[in-house]
Amino acid sequence: MSPDILDEASEIWFGPQHVSAHGWATKLTLVGDYIVECDPNAGYFHRSAEKCLEFRNFRQGSMILERICMMEAFLAEYPYIAAVEKIVDLEVPERAKVMRTIMLEFNRIHSLQFWWGQFAGELGLFAMLLWPWVDREYTLDAFETLTGSRHTVSYETPGGVKYDFTPKFLTKMEIALSRVKERMPVFEDMLSGSPTFRLRTEGVGHYTLKKALKWGLSGPNVKACGYPMDLRKDDPDPNLAYDMIDWEVPTIHNEDHPGECDAFDRLLQRFKEIETSLDIIDKLLPLLPEGPIVDPKARAKANRLPEGESYGRVEGTRGVTTVWLKTMEKAQTPWRAKIRGPCFASYYSLKHIVPGARFADFPAIFGSLDPYPGWWDR
Amino acid sequence: MGFVGNLGDIFRILKHVFRQVFRRPFTYFYPFEDRPYPETTRGRHIHVRELCTACAQCVRACPVAAIRIDKEDQKFEKDAALYFDYTRCIFCGDCVSACRFEALFHTPIVDISEGDRDDLIYGPDKIETLDRDPLEWRGRRFR
Amino acid sequence: MVGSLGGNEMQFDFFTWFGGLWDWILGILLWFWGIIKWLVIWILDIINGIWALAAVPENFMFLFRAVVMPGLIFLLLALIFTVWFTRKIWARVQDRRGPTHLGKYGGYQLFADAVKLMAKETIIPDKAKRWMYRILPSLLLVIVLIPFAFIPWDPYWNIMGPPGQAFGDLSVSLVLIFALLTAVPVFSLLIGWVTGSKYSLIGGFRSANNQFASEIPMVISSVGPAMLAGSLSMYSIVAAQTSIWYIVLLPINFATFLVASIASVGTFPFDAPVADSEIIFGWRTELSGIYFTVVYFAEFAEQMLYSAIMVALFFGGFNGLPFLPGIVNFLIKWLVVYFLFTVVTSSFYRLRQDQIVHLCWKYLLPLSVLNVVLVMFAIVYIPGLLPLVIGG
Repeated sequence: MSPDILDEASEIWFGPQHVSAHGWATKLTLVGDYIVECDPNAGYFHRSAEKCLEFRNFRQGSMILERICMMEAFLAEYPYIAAVEKIVDLEVPERAKVMRTIMLEFNRIHSLQFWWGQFAGELGLFAMLLWPWVDREYTLDAFETLTGSRHTVSYETPGGVKYDFTPKFLTKMEIALSRVKERMPVFEDMLSGSPTFRLRTEGVGHYTLKKALKWGLSGPNVKACGYPMDLRKDDPDPNLAYDMIDWEVPTIHNEDHPGECDAFDRLLQRFKEIETSLDIIDKLLPLLPEGPIVDPKARAKANRLPEGESYGRVEGTRGVTTVWLKTMEKAQTPWRAKIRGPCFASYYSLKHIVPGARFADFPAIFGSLDPYPGWWDR
Repeated sequence: MGFVGNLGDIFRILKHVFRQVFRRPFTYFYPFEDRPYPETTRGRHIHVRELCTACAQCVRACPVAAIRIDKEDQKFEKDAALYFDYTRCIFCGDCVSACRFEALFHTPIVDISEGDRDDLIYGPDKIETLDRDPLEWRGRRFR
Repeated sequence: MVGSLGGNEMQFDFFTWFGGLWDWILGILLWFWGIIKWLVIWILDIINGIWALAAVPENFMFLFRAVVMPGLIFLLLALIFTVWFTRKIWARVQDRRGPTHLGKYGGYQLFADAVKLMAKETIIPDKAKRWMYRILPSLLLVIVLIPFAFIPWDPYWNIMGPPGQAFGDLSVSLVLIFALLTAVPVFSLLIGWVTGSKYSLIGGFRSANNQFASEIPMVISSVGPAMLAGSLSMYSIVAAQTSIWYIVLLPINFATFLVASIASVGTFPFDAPVADSEIIFGWRTELSGIYFTVVYFAEFAEQMLYSAIMVALFFGGFNGLPFLPGIVNFLIKWLVVYFLFTVVTSSFYRLRQDQIVHLCWKYLLPLSVLNVVLVMFAIVYIPGLLPLVIGG
């Protein structure tokens, strides 16, 4: 395109007051129907979570984290708890390790069910907006039976977990998971099997693996390119049970364009992630050992922490979520806690992915990258 | 994608949608029917005054300072009155796990909406009992 | 001395003049009275003339049919029923109930919504052209409601009766309906333009693009039944389906007409002009209050119209169970077709604008032309077809 085509460009704010922009804004420069420039603009959702963390002690801090992204409440609390445990080298009982891992994977399934609904609804099919969310109701019922709250579970605590698995919970979890399994063919028909969906998402929003790594993407956005970069395998956390079982990192391999992925590949990648999570839960449930779920003495060590800094990480639904924690000697509250959300990188990578696409592709692109403003604005 | 393949996909989608239209919908016809709440649901609290020892651990554990304790107000030997501010409570459950004397519990009652802000601050008379005034709506009584 | 100035006598008698002044004033008043009397008699004559015209039984019945049943009032009530029905179906597709609280099964919800929307403050944006903003939405609704006059609801009780009578159906009413419907996307473009915001402008242009893509296959698809019936008048096409409904003979034609009419209305799979997640509400974004109500109902009226046209062209209109009056047959079929319309529209993702044009020009247009060619060959070369399809 010649430079003077920008003379007839018009700027449009895909702004905070927009049906699909849930709390963020982007300035798009359009020439005709094509987007030539995209300028993401974060900051509309800032709730100063990191400052609030400085006023809560180490057990209460995880409650702030889980409210940053309520869809992945277990996955969001975990990096903070892991950072606290690393500073004092807490050993977590075996039963707690397995329970934590099971709930983290269950949460991943829940978050991806939410994403299904949101993505399909943004592309225009209001039926698929609510069908995965009906299955979510069973999942949330299971969460409520275990912890007492549907979204703001405060399940993990330094040294273990707070609530034990009851037979009622196990029944409800089985109902929820079997419902996910039986609805997978229906959703495959309605999503990857729908000709209109393929028209909307194939060839849209593509990038190569090298660029993805350069931009700092992680999680399913990178695995869709065929590269098995997964924190659960690359750096297994000693306080979780991922190394107890045999499982494979979900990646999809596309013969048409190896090393690249588009929105349709990311959809298939997330289908595979759900299958992998179901597989991990199936393999871990029989291995659940007996024992205590939290060590009270270890837990008491988390009241006052010595001076130190640590870095807790987890592979969240959207990528690697980390918390960097710094404490002063014998403090009850952290000196500084920095949260790094995975969506910051995916949001700002829109600047490079979007130009060249049509205006109507914009919801498809950002929906497939799964952005959530809570993670980049905190 | 062949044309016939596409047509097959379209008919499969239409079949799913048609079947869905004739099924009973999932939503409950609130407020006449409501979903069954599990007993572990963290709803409003109930304070068992007989077992309370006025240790104030619940006040210390609360992340948002929603509990206020009045140690002068005693009914039994060692207890205290608790004031729960439900405009601040985040229903996290820390106060219940902090109480060693089994004097504080969550109940599954979650429909506590009120018209006035002051009605949401539960004093000792409200927090120790589960009875409440029923709500009148369109000639029917709820709660 | 009275009037003597030597020589020429000026005979001006003041008192006679004064006496005659009153007659002069009376004369002027009588002149005004004459004008008023003339005016009143003229108006009374006109009213008399209209009444005489209307009191002639067939004229009066035409007025009754056009206004009450199946005319304006029936249409408005049917429109309200249609919107309620649509909302319930959309809700069932999404696994939830529709409106339930107002009235049994939510029947009064639409009235409450209409009252609420009309009571809202109409905010006219600064950059909008005020008078066009006020006139165009209502004009849109009027143009969408006019073609209902040509739909043959019943063999006898129509707005336009059988051709050849007084107030008979035009011999080209099918063409007239499509001519009127062609104006609708033009109005969408204009509304998108005059409301003065970038999102609505994009929506308006997409709507014009939609028309460019979809109207041609739709019109060509409707030629099939017209050729079989041998006439372009809606009434004749329906009257010709007494022995067999055209959908049995022309299923693919029905499918292309269905898809093209969904594209022409601008509802779900083809609703890029009103795309919820991209351009907030397209050309309807900036409309508020009563103007939005009018445009919202105009969309459903258009869907009703296309369902009615499909019933008339393909499903036999008022032919059906012989013991039911024709209009009841029509309404039953219309309900079924509208249900089908709504369920099909809620099953597919929204296509991008260029994909809509691509689909209509590359797939629908050749299919519809192929249909027309097939019908032509069938009429000429299949004996016994012609008497079958031109019914009594």
